[in-house]
Amino acid sequence: MNLKLPDSVSSPQDIKAIVLEVRQYARWFAHASVKQQVSGGKVAEPPAMSPGATALIQGLAGGKPLTQTALDGLIEALEVFETKAPHMTITLAAPPPESLKKTLITWCRQHVAPDILVTFQFNSTLLGGMVVRYGSHVFDWSFRRQILAARGKFPEVLRHV
Amino acid sequence: MTAITLLQLFLLVDVFFAGVVASIAVRHAYAHFRPLPAEPDKPHSPATSDHLPAAVKERLLQTSQAHFQAVLDHSAAQLQRDLEATAAQINKNVGHLATEIVGDELENYRKQLDQLRKQAEGGMGGIREEVAKHQAEVESKLAEELKAEKQWLVQQIDTKLADAVGSFLLDTLQHNVDLGSQSAYLTAMLEEHKADFIKEVADEPEAAR
Repeated sequence: MNLKLPDSVSSPQDIKAIVLEVRQYARWFAHASVKQQVSGGKVAEPPAMSPGATALIQGLAGGKPLTQTALDGLIEALEVFETKAPHMTITLAAPPPESLKKTLITWCRQHVAPDILVTFQFNSTLLGGMVVRYGSHVFDWSFRRQILAARGKFPEVLRHV
Repeated sequence: MTAITLLQLFLLVDVFFAGVVASIAVRHAYAHFRPLPAEPDKPHSPATSDHLPAAVKERLLQTSQAHFQAVLDHSAAQLQRDLEATAAQINKNVGHLATEIVGDELENYRKQLDQLRKQAEGGMGGIREEVAKHQAEVESKLAEELKAEKQWLVQQIDTKLADAVGSFLLDTLQHNVDLGSQSAYLTAMLEEHKADFIKEVADEPEAAR
């Protein structure tokens, strides 16, 4: 199954949450299908889901009737995607706002890999910039590192003040 | 016959000479053992003294004594003058000699003093040069040590100052972080290192999964 995740689903935690929501929806869907086939009465309201999960389920149906098999396939595809997709960790100096998250995820999926997962962390001692970790590689573009790297230039600058 | 005659003649001559020598020896022996008695000295009797009267004799004697006394006085005076002149000359010579000797000794003493002074000056000059050389070496070494110490202190101050400024910035800025204003910067950093980042992702696609 070829999945195209929305930008709001970016990290493995998001996929796990989506999987839980889809499982709940699949459980509800199974109960609702059985109840409708047996009694034909009114079924309960579907569980509340996030926009990402809703978009995935709607994209799964594609205008056709939704089936239990399709939902199970979606869950399996999400679990496989979580284990197979490339994963990147971006550490910022503060908890990033959604707009910034969306900007960075969009950029990564456009220029690095379309199925990349991005996890955001924060560390206030970075002061600014970011630290990007991919696998065993760490790209430290933080202000802290730049300040420490330019520490030897401070006396020279102060002499010219 | 002739040879016998000559021998006999020779023997006769020898006998003759032997007799002469024997008689001379006898005479000398007799004179030696029986010397002749010594003859008494004959008195010197003046030939004329017995013919002059006593007054004349007395007058002549007085005149002779006076004349002898005058000559004696004159000779004594002259001898004294000569003696005085000689003494004066000796004193003069002694003084001159003493002056010359003292001058020579003083000259030698002065030369020795000059030589010693030159030797002392040479020694002092060498010592002065050694002292100046050692002083220059000590000053140069001290200047180098001071320079190294100054550089070390400046380096220490720079290090402490850099640590202080870095710590100040890190402690101050981490309490007021604004990510909203860093969005463009973060995107620019990703764009700047995009090639390296994509290369790492392409090289280790499995490591990050």
